[in-house]
Amino acid sequence: MFQLLNTVLIGITAGSIYSLMAIAMVLVWRSTRVVNFAQAGMALLSTYFGYEIIHMSGSYWLALPIAMLAGAAVAAAIELIFMRLLLKHSSQGAIASIAPIIATLGLLGLIKSIIGYFWGNQDVTIDSPFSNVGFTLGSHTLALSPMKLFILLAVVFLTLVLSLIFQKTNLGLALRASAYSPEISRLAGIKVDLVRTFGWSLAGAAGGAAGMLQTANGNGTLSPDSLEFSLLLAFGFIAAVIGGLDSLIGAVLGALLLGLVLAFVLTYVGGSLVFITAFVLLLVVLLIRPGGIISQKAGRRA
Amino acid sequence: MHKVKASNLTRLIGFVLLGLVLFFVSNRVDELRVYQGASVAMYVVAISSIILLTGYSGQVSLGHGALLAVGGYGAALVRNEFNAPVWLCFAAAVLLAALWGALLGATAARLSGPYLAGTTLALAVGLPSIANQFKFLGGEQGLIFDIGLPPASLGEFFSQYKWFFWIAALTALIAMWWLQNLLRSRYGRTWRAVRSQSVAAELAGINLARSKILAFTVSAGLAGLAGALLSMSISTVSPGAFPLSLSFALATGAVLSGVTTLGGVIIGAVTLVAIPEVADTLTQSIGASENVIANLPGLMVSGLLIVAVLFVPNGPVEQLKHRQKR
Amino acid sequence: MIGKNRRKLITASAVIAAGSMLLAAAPAQALEQGITTSSIKLGITIPMTGIASPGYSKIPGAMKAYFDYVNANGGVNGRKITLVVKDDQYIPTLAVAKANELIFKDKVFALIGTLGTASTKAISRSLQLSARGIPSLFVNTGYSGFADKKLYPTSFSILPSYQMEAKVIGKYLDENFAGKKVGLIYQDDDFGVDALNGFKQAGVDFAVKIPYASGSQGVAGVAGTWITKLQAAAPDVVVLFGVSSATAAALGNAYAYKYAPKWILGSVGGDATTLTANKVPAAFLAGSKGLSFAPAPSDSTDPYIAMFMDVNEKYNKNAPFDNNIVAGMTSAFLAVQAIKAAGPNLTRKSLIAAIEKSSATFANPALTPLGFSSTSHVGATGYWIGTYDATGSLKPDGGKYTVYTTDSGTGAVVVSTYKRPAMPAKGLPN
Repeated sequence: MFQLLNTVLIGITAGSIYSLMAIAMVLVWRSTRVVNFAQAGMALLSTYFGYEIIHMSGSYWLALPIAMLAGAAVAAAIELIFMRLLLKHSSQGAIASIAPIIATLGLLGLIKSIIGYFWGNQDVTIDSPFSNVGFTLGSHTLALSPMKLFILLAVVFLTLVLSLIFQKTNLGLALRASAYSPEISRLAGIKVDLVRTFGWSLAGAAGGAAGMLQTANGNGTLSPDSLEFSLLLAFGFIAAVIGGLDSLIGAVLGALLLGLVLAFVLTYVGGSLVFITAFVLLLVVLLIRPGGIISQKAGRRA
Repeated sequence: MHKVKASNLTRLIGFVLLGLVLFFVSNRVDELRVYQGASVAMYVVAISSIILLTGYSGQVSLGHGALLAVGGYGAALVRNEFNAPVWLCFAAAVLLAALWGALLGATAARLSGPYLAGTTLALAVGLPSIANQFKFLGGEQGLIFDIGLPPASLGEFFSQYKWFFWIAALTALIAMWWLQNLLRSRYGRTWRAVRSQSVAAELAGINLARSKILAFTVSAGLAGLAGALLSMSISTVSPGAFPLSLSFALATGAVLSGVTTLGGVIIGAVTLVAIPEVADTLTQSIGASENVIANLPGLMVSGLLIVAVLFVPNGPVEQLKHRQKR
Repeated sequence: MIGKNRRKLITASAVIAAGSMLLAAAPAQALEQGITTSSIKLGITIPMTGIASPGYSKIPGAMKAYFDYVNANGGVNGRKITLVVKDDQYIPTLAVAKANELIFKDKVFALIGTLGTASTKAISRSLQLSARGIPSLFVNTGYSGFADKKLYPTSFSILPSYQMEAKVIGKYLDENFAGKKVGLIYQDDDFGVDALNGFKQAGVDFAVKIPYASGSQGVAGVAGTWITKLQAAAPDVVVLFGVSSATAAALGNAYAYKYAPKWILGSVGGDATTLTANKVPAAFLAGSKGLSFAPAPSDSTDPYIAMFMDVNEKYNKNAPFDNNIVAGMTSAFLAVQAIKAAGPNLTRKSLIAAIEKSSATFANPALTPLGFSSTSHVGATGYWIGTYDATGSLKPDGGKYTVYTTDSGTGAVVVSTYKRPAMPAKGLPN
């Protein structure tokens, strides 16, 4: 009985971590129709900035917003310098379907190499601002620690704020419009390029938060090839696809579903089925709904 | 490109000539170069598999490494269980991978762009642990894939790597020749039509789903062949040999080649094989610091990729043609 | 079309021609590849970048440091040793490509310290190391298969096999936890399967066995499920037989869930520096049991460790001194001993023969006898078991190393009476 409760808690807290990255993927997809694999690199880089701030000031609470700002700045710079050129040069022909993905993979490699050059290949860590030891319930310890609760709340907060921006503000409307149809948006007077840059920097900030939270959580460590980050990227993307790439709520739902299914399969079926379970879950969801859980219309075209 | 009609015969002669040149060259270079030649041949097949899928049928795969693995394991199993001759192992690799490709393609046909990318990515991530689930696949250390020594008639000093190269080069030449013909056939035209004008193609009576599944199947078969070649060159097949980075490298190779032309495929293949060594040589000659040595190869591959996507998005061959036309 | 083919042809021939020009013309020489009267070139391929690199990427630096130390003091038999390092990212395909470069381009005399079972196997097979007679010294894997001298006649492994380790742990459990419930976390591949065989031979009956897929320890939530499963089965003692990151994840989550059985850490994942760097509190680690075949890195009273620390400071920019540094320097030290024993007329054959014949007389830090012989190519043959102290250092129980030895077969586990040869003056050959 108690094991069941903890399995649910593990699923939810793990899901909240995937959703941080999933949200960032969705933000970029919504603003520029690009699957951004460089997201992990951007998150890593901003977390390294946060790490340096902690090193200098000793304060996680100073480092977190700075890492998010740094993430936003890096993302904006990439969009300005790089993605605009890319869209200009390779918007036609067969390459258009694959070039942006490949380009962001290239960026990911570039950022990793740069990090490796400046910070070396060894693990570094960030101390948690909250305790990682679980709350107690009677004589039991829950699989929920203050740090994990903080991550959970941060995800809820991020989702709410971002959803509000997207649904209730003119900026959000412009974001949605320019992703949906850049030409018409331009005619309507929307500064599409600027709006896209803004979408990227939102994603950059979300990625920065993801990196700072994930690294401070439990055994999280930081290195250019951090296993956690590459898995965060893969699982975040899988979660976003499960949820439907266009929806923030979908990303969070997809991540929670992935987290819960994994926790239950690992606990009650087999300990080594992680990757297979993720693949099968994705396949099953997409077979039923080819556009993810929350898809606005069937047969979406990229 | 498809305006110039060459007869099948001239094309065949071209391939035979290329084969002859490779044959003579292979007698003049050392072991490292023949080994790398075999790797180039493997990449040629693997990249053209992606080009067929993405460039011709408009589908995206980020998990092609998984299909290579299917081929590699298939070839090794047939070799180890039945002591089958090499060509039969390769045929088994192609068939097994094509079967997987058909299944995957049936799913893929329903999915668009990023959703397909996500599915194939998840497959590539999940693959290594599948190999660990079944004892007959040999776990993390994998299986031995030993094609045996070169025939004694080739002489005492005929090295194993030269033998690998001959097999790989011949296989790649045959595969390329076959693929060229296929792309010039009705199927090739259908795929191009589906990619560039899917609505019009549908109106013209083309079954979109069937066409996409067929492309996925053929592409997977080629990937399986490449997987068998890869496994031959490292004499083993193990999950670690097909990491996510291989899938990404193949996509990279396709972009460097130009995703719509087979002509550039050798450029992509040679680049993939050459870069790590060039980077090594460079770092050693400038006597760089440890952090530079460790990170320069990655930086070069990524940098080159970005430059390629930005400035020669349709591949060097296409770019040249474009310039000539102007 | 013809034009295109011709272009393809020209490209291909140009590339290959350029390639062949890169080849240095090899001068006719009486000596074997990679050696001159004043030098020896060795090569290593190991993950320097990629997910497996943290920790392991320190090994080549440590090897180089010891070689530099020897070189600065006259080398071995008048020859100075250089080490060419290649990065294989823990990918077998890349490992073969890099080993090819080492042998055919850098023209090394021998390989040393390749890491990982799949990579080592692929290199050995594809390059036909045995047919070419190329020595592959002190490979870093505990896969028992490399002990097979018939299949891998030129390869020597340094680590005791995982099977030996499991048997030693089994013996320890039997002596200290008889009748108690035992749990196990293990990696669900050969690494774990080898160990399972060993545990079976030792007659260990696990109350709960938790497999994990290699790499999945980094997925959020995964390690948490291990602990809930352990809590449900409530074993008294738990064996953690995984890589460092998995061991760290298990301990970190156990700490978070206030779950504290008696822990026994396998040697692969038991490097305290790596564990504490992964935020396992040293206080939580304290009291756990660990295994090693070399002296503990914190044991500066050991002459070898003291010498290695000194070399590390002078030749390795004083890198954080841990198991990886000790492992790298131990391999380098053994290589130097072997080269010395092979004598001034060094050949690949004489090197292999020297290791097979006289490894018993080689000075080396290992506390277990070396098992190299004309029939076996396994190095260290056992472990000592110690306790992690409050600072996270592994210390021998009762202040003295009690070493258990065994084999990869059905042989019994016995307490070793081995006395290792004294360290030569200043840790130098000659």
